[in-house]
Amino acid sequence: MNVDLEEFRTAFVAEADEHLAAAQSLLLAMDRTLKERSGDGVQRELRELLRLLHTVKGLSAMVGVEPIVSLSHEMESVLRTAERGGGIVDEPTIEALLEGTRAIQSRVRAVAENRPVPAPAADLLAALRRLEPPAPASLGEIKITDEVAAKLGASEREQLRSGARAGRRALRVDFMPSASQAAAGVSITTIRERISTLGEIVKVVPLSPAGGLVFALVVLTNATNEQITEATGIEAVTELMAPSAPVPATFEPEVEKEEEATTEGARGVLRVDVGRVDAAIELLGTLVVTRSRMALAVDRLEKAGADTRELRAIMTDHARQLREVRSAILRVRMVPMTAVVERLPLVVRGLARTNRKKVRVLVDVASAELDKTVAERLFPALVHLVRNCIDHGVELPADRVKAGKSEEAVLRLEGTTRDRMVELRISDDGRGVDRAAVAARAGKPVPATDAELLDLLCRPGLSTRAEADTTSGRGLGMDIVRKVVQRLGGELTLETTAGQGTTFRVRVPLTVAIVDAFTVRSGGERFAVPVPIVEEIVELASERVVNGPSARLLARRGETVPLFNLAQALSLPNRSEPPQALVVRGSGGELVAYAVDRVLGQQEIVVRPLTDTLVASGAISGSTDLGDGRVTVVLDLLALRAA
Amino acid sequence: MTFGQTEPNAIDAYAKGDDGSFVPDILVVDDSKVMRDMITACLRPDSSLSVTQAASGLEAIERLSLKSFDVLVLDLNMPDIGGLEVVEFVRGQDKLKTLPILIVTTRADDGSREKVLAAGASKYLTKPFTPESILTEVKALL
Repeated sequence: MNVDLEEFRTAFVAEADEHLAAAQSLLLAMDRTLKERSGDGVQRELRELLRLLHTVKGLSAMVGVEPIVSLSHEMESVLRTAERGGGIVDEPTIEALLEGTRAIQSRVRAVAENRPVPAPAADLLAALRRLEPPAPASLGEIKITDEVAAKLGASEREQLRSGARAGRRALRVDFMPSASQAAAGVSITTIRERISTLGEIVKVVPLSPAGGLVFALVVLTNATNEQITEATGIEAVTELMAPSAPVPATFEPEVEKEEEATTEGARGVLRVDVGRVDAAIELLGTLVVTRSRMALAVDRLEKAGADTRELRAIMTDHARQLREVRSAILRVRMVPMTAVVERLPLVVRGLARTNRKKVRVLVDVASAELDKTVAERLFPALVHLVRNCIDHGVELPADRVKAGKSEEAVLRLEGTTRDRMVELRISDDGRGVDRAAVAARAGKPVPATDAELLDLLCRPGLSTRAEADTTSGRGLGMDIVRKVVQRLGGELTLETTAGQGTTFRVRVPLTVAIVDAFTVRSGGERFAVPVPIVEEIVELASERVVNGPSARLLARRGETVPLFNLAQALSLPNRSEPPQALVVRGSGGELVAYAVDRVLGQQEIVVRPLTDTLVASGAISGSTDLGDGRVTVVLDLLALRAA
Repeated sequence: MTFGQTEPNAIDAYAKGDDGSFVPDILVVDDSKVMRDMITACLRPDSSLSVTQAASGLEAIERLSLKSFDVLVLDLNMPDIGGLEVVEFVRGQDKLKTLPILIVTTRADDGSREKVLAAGASKYLTKPFTPESILTEVKALL
């Protein structure tokens, strides 16, 4: 038998990362609930956390990463004790658990990078073992006469009690699975997902009346019975216990969110290597080339007197279909904006603690999606902006009180989308950027506008602090942040008011195309040419160039290749005798060489389409910013030749 | 819906191999996709076994209500309903009283092994296990 569990390492890293990110969001949510003292319980979060850590433990054991097994084991014990006590946790416990998830994360990284995995820090293990869970809640009576009551544990009963205290209704929803429903895609899994958009599932109890099967879902919700029936098709909805406060009369479920969750749940989630999606997009590119050849063939037919009306109609459909296929493929790469922003509160928390500042984070992000590439490139820039706010913007608690503000600063993370662009705003209610200090450090006059101030802040190497400090002094500078945003085809703006706060606004496109490209100079202009179509770069020594009957020819390995001056082909006025050429192979296998003044280099570029990328005619496939803020044209040399 | 009875439109419970031999169907239940895939990879080299996966205890109970399986490979810690409750429920069904159940879980500290065996699980395997050991256990339960 030949099964190597080592093969599962990559999958282990992906799943462990996912679970740890989820665990951290849960811990932060629990922390918020505790701080708000709204009376809401954290039992559901606690059980979910327990499950996630147990899974991480099991997986780590299977792939033989003992340090993660012992860390997650200690954390699990803490949670189990808390769960038995009715699901009550306190802030020191959350703090230690967060620390634990970070320690596991760094070890998962080590596994991913094939480094030795360090043993857990002894003081962290000791701290986890030392945690005293808060006194168990007085588990008062809850009046449930239903048969499901017997199946509820201490933490679930406490969850129901605090839910009722917060004014929610406790319901029992009965789902009866059957083969016909399964065939129609309705299963306990999809029902669970639908109901969780309307409320909190406390427990699902399988019951077996007369040898059959019924799932009794115990749910805490603000929704009406009718809304539950509408969402699930289930009529068997009964009240388990009355709420202790009046139910809000108007409860509108978020319809859009609900639909999303339903389809996701019904179809499942597929994890794909981004490379495969990119490969599909590249293949699509070759289809586009074929399409332009077809268009040329139709032109020729028409010139020869053929009736091409039907062909033209087909070509129009075909263009639309290609566009649709392209956007369908691009959608695979989209991630929810919340997934990007969700990771920031954790950063804030750590920074606030090291800086001894008090910060509350408010997140308000639309349900839009953006390209994974954009998200990944943007994230470090967002982290830096958050660092900036906390480090420079937010005052120490005592200073805030002196300035007549509350001790706790508020950091808002907001996101909206408009016109295929996502706008993220990071704002604090701190002291604002000190214009005079920035000007003094840059050796420039005090800027009059926020835009000028941002320009100064983005000067390479500028820091308003005498020394690099623990947070902002590390990592990117503002100049890099702006470059990252600009290279994505976006913009960074700043608004700041002394004493009131600072807002950074980042606008970037929802999707981008990224290719590896040569940058070349020709006719005094700079262009980018995607690397995959370039066969070779050659020096144009005079003995290799001959004059043919209609064009100049380049002798290359015993064959001759037509040679054009790129500047001439693009009708640029400034033409010198170019010393280098790019040899390009078309989809039909034929070679063409384009002479250029100089090949400047090779780099990854973000292509911004000028018009419609698929059916754009001419030799320009888009534009890019090479990082200097100037627009550079991306050439499609295959189309240039056909034109 | 009654347990153990195959619905007319459900897949035939006792799938036959190419040569008409009996192909046992194993239901692997774990909320971790990687874990399910690992267990499946451990069982797959034996072509005389067919493997079905379920991502939760609820899904497992639902599947058992729609079709017969020959061995249940079950994780203990899952959302909404854990492995222990699945065992208790399964053993409460007349038709499933004899279904072999192999518990596969990580070392736990609350006597879960004793509890789940008392509830009627057939065998208990602790993670990490080797591919050989799980295949041996599953075949022994058939």
